[in-house]
Amino acid sequence: MRASRSDADHGGTSAEAPPSGDELKGNSMKQIVKLKVNGVEDEKAVQTHHTLLEVLRSEYKLFGAREGCGIGMCGACTVLLDGQPMSSCILLAVLAQGKEITTIEGLSDPGKLHPIQQAFIDHNAFQCSYCTPGFILSTKSLLAENPNPTGEQVRSYLAGNLCRCGSYYKIEEAVLDAALRLRDQKGNR
Amino acid sequence: MSLGEALSMLDAEERVTGRINYTLNIEAPAMLAGKILRSPLPHARIVRIDPGRAQRLTGVGAVLTRADFGPHTGYSGRYGRIFRDQTVLALDKVRFVGDPVAAVAASDEDTALEALSLIDIEYEELPAVFDESEALQPAAPLVHDPRPEQQPIFSKMIEDLPGGTNLCSHFKLRRGDIELGFHQADFVFEDTFRSPAAQHVPLEPHVTVAVYGRQKLTLWTSTQMPHAIRAQMAELLNLPLARVRVIVETLGGGFGSKGSLRLEPITAFLALKAQRPVKIILSREEEFVTVCKHPATICVKTGVMKDGTLVARQVNAYFNTGAYSDIGPVVARNGGSAMSGPYRIPHVWIDSRAVWTNIVPAGALRGFGVPQAVWAYESQMDMIAERLGFDPLEFRQKNLLRDHDVFATGEELTDIHFHDLLEQAAASIGWSPEDVRWLNRDRTRAKDKTRRRGKGVAMVIKATITPSTSAAALKLNEDGSLNVLTSSVECGQGAKTVLAQIAADAMHLPVSRVSVSDPDTDLTPYDQQTSSSRTTYSMGGAIREAASDLKRQLLDCAAEHLEVSVTDLIIEDAKVIVRGTPRRSLTYGEITRLSNQGNLFGRGAFTTRGGLDLQTGQGIGSVHWHQGAIGCEVEVDIETGKITILRLTPCVFAGRVVNLRLCELQLEGCAIFGLGQALFEEMSYGEHGQLLNPNLSDYNVPSFADIPPKINASALEHAGSEELHGIGETLLPPVMAAIGNAVYNAVGVRLQELPLTAEKLLREIHRQHSTNDFPLSRRARE
Repeated sequence: MRASRSDADHGGTSAEAPPSGDELKGNSMKQIVKLKVNGVEDEKAVQTHHTLLEVLRSEYKLFGAREGCGIGMCGACTVLLDGQPMSSCILLAVLAQGKEITTIEGLSDPGKLHPIQQAFIDHNAFQCSYCTPGFILSTKSLLAENPNPTGEQVRSYLAGNLCRCGSYYKIEEAVLDAALRLRDQKGNR
Repeated sequence: MSLGEALSMLDAEERVTGRINYTLNIEAPAMLAGKILRSPLPHARIVRIDPGRAQRLTGVGAVLTRADFGPHTGYSGRYGRIFRDQTVLALDKVRFVGDPVAAVAASDEDTALEALSLIDIEYEELPAVFDESEALQPAAPLVHDPRPEQQPIFSKMIEDLPGGTNLCSHFKLRRGDIELGFHQADFVFEDTFRSPAAQHVPLEPHVTVAVYGRQKLTLWTSTQMPHAIRAQMAELLNLPLARVRVIVETLGGGFGSKGSLRLEPITAFLALKAQRPVKIILSREEEFVTVCKHPATICVKTGVMKDGTLVARQVNAYFNTGAYSDIGPVVARNGGSAMSGPYRIPHVWIDSRAVWTNIVPAGALRGFGVPQAVWAYESQMDMIAERLGFDPLEFRQKNLLRDHDVFATGEELTDIHFHDLLEQAAASIGWSPEDVRWLNRDRTRAKDKTRRRGKGVAMVIKATITPSTSAAALKLNEDGSLNVLTSSVECGQGAKTVLAQIAADAMHLPVSRVSVSDPDTDLTPYDQQTSSSRTTYSMGGAIREAASDLKRQLLDCAAEHLEVSVTDLIIEDAKVIVRGTPRRSLTYGEITRLSNQGNLFGRGAFTTRGGLDLQTGQGIGSVHWHQGAIGCEVEVDIETGKITILRLTPCVFAGRVVNLRLCELQLEGCAIFGLGQALFEEMSYGEHGQLLNPNLSDYNVPSFADIPPKINASALEHAGSEELHGIGETLLPPVMAAIGNAVYNAVGVRLQELPLTAEKLLREIHRQHSTNDFPLSRRARE
């Protein structure tokens, strides 16, 4: 059997002439967007097809959000959008305009640790820690909604964040401990 | 004391603030983005590649194809750890769906992807073979023809075979007289088990940054084997080792996937051609076609006496190594050499083969061939126990290896703890003979008519790579603090923390005065690899050696300055003290300054010896053997086939625990990793060899929703022992069989092919219902 084809995944066959590079370039558009990242608002020219994750990493050099699956299944790219956890790998950057974007770098002041971060350290709630910023930000959102969760509620809320190293038990302990610390902090105020 | 302290990782703050550096974050000036064009066909000759349009696209720095390799270029482009069967890009033909055919480096990823779409390729499709058994049929299409050249350094480990076949390697183990053994046996049982291809899924994908300048190649790459990468890249580029520099940042998980050459050759040749730095990041979909766990078919034939004594075992194992052998022959050997399990069997005959096919190349995955082996032999142990009416626990106990028993490899075993481990595993799930389906005559125990509970155990014996070599250097600074120079890779297992604890302990320093390097082959001493659960033991050993060297220097220098004999000195609290006169002492810092050498350097190497005979598999298989047992309790919903894991109890022999917290994380991680492979992880192929589920939506890994409420892990220590056992893999291999055995005790269904999906289990439950009195859901509701 003899087959002639270009790679189907990347489109184009030898029968129809592929568009030239300049034509393709014309298809990608930039748009000026106002983004508020970790409390600071500024304007960025972003490709309209680029995700928030790509923009955070390439334009802001914020490396705490990471791609794990690229389809919103693993949670390693989690950021908070107006306090809600979002997979930044499937959110177009232009759609984040007007929202408060919080990344792990904005969770606490430089040199200081958020109580959730401290609890994750104290329980060593990670191994390779690629997933850790995502877990911590999801935890932030969980504890804002429910300051006193049960273990089961923690598991259910964090089921969208994957830890391939399997540090789940230490994560659950850390989250319950962080909840306690945050309630204490609030009580003392 | 720092050894044994349950510290959190020393770099924990960088990890929770997102600041820790992965290779993913590395950028170089004027860096280009690389992308790879892959074969859409499982087996085809490449007739023509036309990269012209891609090369002319604005922003493209280099297009790499087979035209860049061959005698006229000075680069063969051929590599491979055991067989030189892999090429930087396909040269003559493609061998699996996903095989790299061309690559582009361009100003950004979008441009690189556009350029890929402009490369025109004409293929002539060839017949393909995907199954390991079919691949060995005489008429099967040949994946490699002629047979690829074997690397000379492996000639003592892997037998070279004649060409004209897809048989890549054949490990043989011969002990006793197998015919006599089966003749003596009262019963002989033969059963076949299968494991599918599975993924590592480190959340960080493979990433490589290559910078080529002044005739030196620098690679930042996500690898577990910096020195092996350096050696292979030097060979590919015709450079001396000193002109290839490999730097490794912390890994976002590896699990074996980040050994061997992966992205390094393509990235380096793109950088060479473009004369610009190049970075390639694999997408998750590409991860799936880069490396995987070996699919394996294993037939176990076991001879047993009436009283339950094992007398003979013959194993035929076929590991499907895919299109390229990678480290597959050693995986088949490692799985093969362990197939007698932790049992005394006088007559053993094992044939374990790696086979080339047209699917994704398989390589090392946590457990290294042993998960496939344990799935087979520990499932069969329960099947035999049932056929003969034994309690599976007693059946195991009767046959378990003890100190001074001789293993199937002919070596005498010491420091063996299988009885204790089994006891611990059984106790932690509250095991009783009543839990055994075939001994429990009262079938009405089930409290719930549609949900059934069952318990099971499984055991493992596993080698750590032997022989092997690690080297370390200790640099003592003028303030008495210590830099540990090591090429061990931190991949989340906590290597840097554990090695700091070992160094601090050996040098009588607090951990806070110790810093452990990242690997950099320009600066850090040789290490074979971060794999095979060997780092704590081997690199720990090298550090202890280096500490002895350094302490010798400290004592010599202090003796000279304190004008006493070395024998009058002791070392305590980072000081050298004159015995009986504590006021006469020198701190490490003072001695370093007095030495007039700037720094004091301690050097240490740790080498293990051994190896197995090519024809008989006899010799030293492992410097010491990793031992484990696991208990499991499941609940099966007989209306849906869904298995819920209620309890998992991994028990490992650890020798001496360096850091209990990190040890627990490894044991829990092993159990959860195994749970995924037991219940749902499987790479599914279509009929044309195309992968059907190369993403984390269709291929699931365990989440919070899949795990039992708690995992009761325990590490058995040998009182008084300073010997450290690696524990990073040991408890993964037995998870699948423990779950399978528990499922059998719950519902009486034995699946011999992983994973144990609800669909498969339900089908079997229904099939059994049609042949016997198994109470099916509908009747249960009546």
